[in-house]
Amino acid sequence: MKIEDYIESGILETFVMGAASDDEVKQLLYMKASYPQVDEALQQLEKDMERIAMNMAIAPPPNTWNKIEQEINDIILRDKTEPQKFSPKREHEEFNGNKAYNNQHQYIEVEAESSHMKIHKNWKWVFAAIFVLGKIFLGCAIYFYLENRQAQQQLQELKTELKQVKK
Amino acid sequence: MLLGYIFEVVKNRQVAEQYLVTVFNDAANELDEFYKPGVNAFCRLQLMARKKLAPFFENTDGYSTTGEVPDNTSLGKNKFIKQMTNEQQLVFCGAHWQGKTTSKIAAELGRPDDDIRRILKECFTIIRSSK
Repeated sequence: MKIEDYIESGILETFVMGAASDDEVKQLLYMKASYPQVDEALQQLEKDMERIAMNMAIAPPPNTWNKIEQEINDIILRDKTEPQKFSPKREHEEFNGNKAYNNQHQYIEVEAESSHMKIHKNWKWVFAAIFVLGKIFLGCAIYFYLENRQAQQQLQELKTELKQVKK
Repeated sequence: MLLGYIFEVVKNRQVAEQYLVTVFNDAANELDEFYKPGVNAFCRLQLMARKKLAPFFENTDGYSTTGEVPDNTSLGKNKFIKQMTNEQQLVFCGAHWQGKTTSKIAAELGRPDDDIRRILKECFTIIRSSK
């Protein structure tokens, strides 16, 4: 196949859109490395992809980049602490019963016990429901207490009236 | 630009933003890839996003039932998409925003793979010639 035919076949467009099969990708990467025309055509198509994207661009919220930066910084910090290769301890470094340990190993790392508790976010609705129900019950209790007190007073008044009538 | 692409796939702003952050985090682990000669950073990011969005692509039924992109969607309002025929829209949007391979689109339309590639090429010609 001629290189022009290859470029015209539409395989480059398929590749740029990410819709090419693995075999097609392998073949195309080989062609790209071998023929500058293919590379040039691909670059042009990538610019076309950018044009489409620019036409439908949405501005991310202002804090998005901060989030990304924070995550990337975390990754960089994590990468700095590479795992150390295990090596057996030398004899003089080993802990030996009650004998004083050397200065570098006087402390034992203990994970501090947190006074906080993590719970699932869904619990906030449960707590909110409990709070609202609590308020409703309190309202009902006050209402029935007042009702009951009024009823008692009325009963007392009735008793008094009855006594007066009997007399 | 990338957020616009992701949003068009997931159709949810918050989810799209989460995917955007994830893609950039992954990009941080593959920085070497971006420094290779001839690599288009945006297209590279878009391909990474496409991989991440695979679950959405699997669940979409696309435009195969109607055969055209609805005018009231942001895709339908896109000036490049507007200039395409229904068939071109179906192929282009299927490949770009629904993650379909050319073989899948060919099977859906009952056409050979070569036809689908040719249609895709026509779509790019429209995009390039459009001002």
